[in-house]
Amino acid sequence: MARDPKHDILFEPIQIGPKTMRNRFYQIPHCNGFGSEKPFSQAFFRAVKAEGGYAAVSTEYCSISPESDDTHRMSARLWDDDDIKNLSLMCDMLHEHDCLSAAELWYGGPHAPCMETRCVARGPSQIPSDFEYLTYAIEADKDDIRYLQRLYVEAAKRARTAGFDIVYVYGSHSYLPQQFLTPFYNKRTDEYGGSFENRARFWRETIEQVKEAVGDDCAIAVRMSTDMFLGEAGTQLERDCLPFVELVDELVDVWDINLSGIAEWGEDATPSRFYEQGRALPWQAAVKAISKKPVLGVGRWTDPNAMVDAINEGKLDIIATCRPSTSDPFLPKKIEEGRLDDIRECIGCNVCISRWEIGGPPLICTQNATAGEEYRRGWHPEKFTTARNADNDVLVVGAGPAGMECAMVLGKRGMRRVHLVDAADDMGGTMRWIPQLPGLGEWARLVNYRKIQIDKLKNVEFLASMKLSATDVAAYGAEIVVVATGSYWATDGLNGASHDVIPGADASLAWQATPDQIMGEGKQLDGERVLVFDNDGYFMGVSISEMLALEGKKVTLMTPMGNVAPYMHFTLEAPNMHRRLHSLGVEIVTYYLPSRFEPGAVVATHVYDEHGHERTWDVDGVVLVSQRRSNEALFRSLKDDIGLDTLKAEGVDALYRIGDCEAPRLLADAVFSGHRLAREIDSPDPSVPLPFRRERRVVDAGTVASERAWHEAVVAGTAS
Amino acid sequence: MKTVVCVKQVRTLGDEVQFTDGGMDVDPDYVDLALNEWDSYAMEEALRLREAHGGEVLVLTCGGKESEAALRRCLAMGADRAARVERAEDHDAIQVAHALAGVVREEGADLVLCGVQSSDSVQAATGTALAELLGLPRVAVVTRLEVGQGTARVHRELEGGLADVVDVDMPAVLTIQTGINKPRYANLRAIKQAEQVEIAVSQATDAPSASRVRRMFVPDRGESAEMLGTDPAEVAGRIAEIVKERTA
Repeated sequence: MARDPKHDILFEPIQIGPKTMRNRFYQIPHCNGFGSEKPFSQAFFRAVKAEGGYAAVSTEYCSISPESDDTHRMSARLWDDDDIKNLSLMCDMLHEHDCLSAAELWYGGPHAPCMETRCVARGPSQIPSDFEYLTYAIEADKDDIRYLQRLYVEAAKRARTAGFDIVYVYGSHSYLPQQFLTPFYNKRTDEYGGSFENRARFWRETIEQVKEAVGDDCAIAVRMSTDMFLGEAGTQLERDCLPFVELVDELVDVWDINLSGIAEWGEDATPSRFYEQGRALPWQAAVKAISKKPVLGVGRWTDPNAMVDAINEGKLDIIATCRPSTSDPFLPKKIEEGRLDDIRECIGCNVCISRWEIGGPPLICTQNATAGEEYRRGWHPEKFTTARNADNDVLVVGAGPAGMECAMVLGKRGMRRVHLVDAADDMGGTMRWIPQLPGLGEWARLVNYRKIQIDKLKNVEFLASMKLSATDVAAYGAEIVVVATGSYWATDGLNGASHDVIPGADASLAWQATPDQIMGEGKQLDGERVLVFDNDGYFMGVSISEMLALEGKKVTLMTPMGNVAPYMHFTLEAPNMHRRLHSLGVEIVTYYLPSRFEPGAVVATHVYDEHGHERTWDVDGVVLVSQRRSNEALFRSLKDDIGLDTLKAEGVDALYRIGDCEAPRLLADAVFSGHRLAREIDSPDPSVPLPFRRERRVVDAGTVASERAWHEAVVAGTAS
Repeated sequence: MKTVVCVKQVRTLGDEVQFTDGGMDVDPDYVDLALNEWDSYAMEEALRLREAHGGEVLVLTCGGKESEAALRRCLAMGADRAARVERAEDHDAIQVAHALAGVVREEGADLVLCGVQSSDSVQAATGTALAELLGLPRVAVVTRLEVGQGTARVHRELEGGLADVVDVDMPAVLTIQTGINKPRYANLRAIKQAEQVEIAVSQATDAPSASRVRRMFVPDRGESAEMLGTDPAEVAGRIAEIVKERTA
């Protein structure tokens, strides 16, 4: 199909300094867990976006010095010639697709814990990080400031050598240049602190020096947060940012405008729970109004009409995406080809970000199971090989996230016939009701994308309202059976804190309920006072609490954990979730584990009370969000009651299970599980994942000799 | 109890459509084939009659070799036999009715079930024409069917939400409305078995056509669409206004 002419402007080239972007799609700097240490994963991950139509793709934050080491979190690094080599692969692969490459030069100041390098960062003032524990910076004197600026210049030159077209002097997210600009971080009284001119001095000088060094060859990008939401102390649009734009606009080739500091950067990488697409547009438009240079900005853009509006209304020049480019690296190409219903829209769950926040692991994506697997598993988001056993028919039982994904990918791999069946009258499994929880409407995109794809696949058929017994499955006529029957919330209070049930917990009673019962079956609890017991620690307990509070209940949220919904710290949802629960009057009780439920009361003890003193909460109802259990009855019956031999005699050659039916997990991991099985359905043993390519140093005779010689020389003090 | 179910392999369209050179038909590249939705309900109704009263279900179509996919889908659902009247070239509903009538006369049937209409032509003509050619009573748009001794009590849908209940002597031709039942799925085993069934093929005799295609085109888009914005409260308010305006 052809592109809709109303989207033409998205495909107009634009000049940024000495470089030309071939269209308006820009992958904003964002982390992926690969850095410079996993150069192939890094390069292949970014290159897929270039192949998908992005005209410029950036690294994540890219450290300019061992003093700016974010370990345990993974940044890129441009410290030395070997880093140049490793990142140049990314540049080369982007250039193969006529895509510009950007390096986001980063120095963390007091936010860099330097756990690997054991260096100490320098910063404007000596106040410990509001993001990292126990991390202080050296308060930079004038020599330190000259030194820091040299670090930027040297790193910019290394970036140019590596092949980067765009070099950032990155301030947003409370990093060094913006620390100098912001009174919250900058308490100096010399010419680098105090007045706007003084606070702007470090950043201005650094941009000047980087421009001087590489500006003829590379575009200079400046990423600035235009509101930290810290009141007078934080960066402010009118007071700081617009004057700064006027001050350095001549030096800058492209502005990258966003919001937030680092401690609450969910105000920038906005969860869909709290913010819609284009949240930062007013701030971006304010910069655009006074700058003569192109302005780019994020907004979790997935809707081409909204992108066009942002450009036509003069609010942005370039559409920058982070999460939508991971969810669908082919977003630009699909818009260009008019295939809008093939776009795999980001759901804004931020599980990608959670991996960076956890520190270390590669990113994952709920919508795109191939994200991060481009190199190590060789998975392409849009290319599927015909399975070697494509002459088989497959029955997938259960049309939740794992089952839908598996059936879809099996269809794309050309299996003869795929029947996806579900006992319910539509696809989605628990994802039919999870998006009905407060704020989670966009999560329905997970189901919608797959429904549309499955509908298009001629070899995949969805069979609704079909509850199959094990005997039905055995006689169904499929050579391959995949059980994807999901999981359910425990009805007896079984939980990972006590590793036991809770006496009195029984969701068959009228005054107790699980999320499945409330959301899936419409069970209602009588009375005003409800206690939600949460030992899950992610979105379910708080979402149910919020929903019941919105219904007018007086809600107590109790958890044996030290925080409610601790995983939401990693998804950046925690601060606003806490605010919301607080504003709704939800009573938060942490470190308490119920010892028993009684009609009208929950009796609980503090988890660190050695004497087990009991406290009683008078309540009318209880919601059990204690843990999930696999719905494995069908799988067990097939394997244990009927048996694999009998199944074989019936023509069922293979039986697998995927997703929560194996073990409950994140939505992203359930989707991955279905995808993985379908990708490897023709491997020697599809029940076991194939090994993936690991980027690690491998010891061989040559390296052993050279490394031992090097070490001996260092120990002996004779190393050169 | 012998029931003949007449079905059609319809052409379904995606988002985009192109016509063949000359504009007389839809370009086959833009077309998928499927069992007509109404016919799947007729097929299910026939299977339920067999389950209740015994007997046989014959599924019948008129068309080229490709239309056998619709027959095989019905065989997988549970039809006992399938027959196709070969008619590759263009044909209209009347010619199809002539072709089907020949087989029904030979076979004999207590009931002949058709869908109300096909989703591609939407003429609702074949069933009625077939009844005329066979000299049988016909009831159209059937939403409920109870078979007795030599007669059937039939609920037929009228406009304005009304239903008419009539007793009709059998044999008769009924055109079946969607929603009368819930068509069963065929499992993979049944689909595979249906692939092995031999389909009886006969040739259509010449019959006059009653209509011809002069041109196919996409209707002009009107200018009267009103977009209602994105704010749910605003949209709901406007809908309420429109309903009031138009029902005043």
